[in-house]
Amino acid sequence: MAEHSLNEHSLIAAYRADLQARLPADLADEVLDGLAEAHDKYLRLGLPPDQAARAAVTELGDPRTITDAFRRADPARQLARTLILSGPAVGGCWAAALTTARAWNWPLPAAIPLLMGLTLAASAALLAAAATTQRYRAGRRAGTAGSLGIALLDTAAITTAILAAPASPWLFTAAACASLARLTHIARTLRRCPISYMW
Amino acid sequence: MRAEQLKGHLDGLLLAAIDNGARHGYAVMEAVREATSGQIDLPTGTIYPALHRLERADLIAGTWSVVAGRRRRYYTLTQAGRTALTGHRTDWRDFAATITAALESRPWPSTA
Repeated sequence: MAEHSLNEHSLIAAYRADLQARLPADLADEVLDGLAEAHDKYLRLGLPPDQAARAAVTELGDPRTITDAFRRADPARQLARTLILSGPAVGGCWAAALTTARAWNWPLPAAIPLLMGLTLAASAALLAAAATTQRYRAGRRAGTAGSLGIALLDTAAITTAILAAPASPWLFTAAACASLARLTHIARTLRRCPISYMW
Repeated sequence: MRAEQLKGHLDGLLLAAIDNGARHGYAVMEAVREATSGQIDLPTGTIYPALHRLERADLIAGTWSVVAGRRRRYYTLTQAGRTALTGHRTDWRDFAATITAALESRPWPSTA
């Protein structure tokens, strides 16, 4: 996080503290550099320090509004929303494939379906939290964790489909394709989400 | 002019603001304001997330510097960004020419 001078105007200091509490360091530093630039500009225009600080803070806008804008544009949050919306369709494909293959008769340890069910429930809860929370960093963390949970489930489901050699291959192929598309989307999105933005 | 009215043109405006060299977020805000004689005054909450989106799309590249003891992120156009900007300019010229031709043409003949 950027250093700041001891003689910083109190209005600028309050704005800095508010923004840093809401946004990850990189995002906050970038906006605060803009605030400092605006402050310098108004001082150069001859405004007294108080008025220059007020004008700069007004020009940059309310930290809550800025945080909301970053939150709405956050790719992890958008990914969470996409996964929530596409979840029933992909889940439906798997449900149809597993029901047709009478998967409950498969010789699997009881712990596996239980673990998958728990992972699905936890991932869904995390994605819902990511899509609805007002806090940027919490949303980023929940969105990333929930998406990774879904990726884990998709990987497990595709592996199962390959190993189980089902009797209705076309249904499993359709479900596996849906999971593969979802996995690709998750990987592409998370690759561009800096880990540092979670804290 | 409000940000919603710029839908579809925001990316082109931001890419054009960076076309002449590296700029940081606030400089992009000022460049857009100056280039449009103050008609387009985009808020912070529009500019910075949009720059990050363009960076994720590989249309611009961001690098950190330290200026006057502050961290500053500069953005430059990538090759894909230059291509996209050329496309935005061409699309805008075609769109503006089409709409201008329609709005400034003689009254349309009656179909009755």
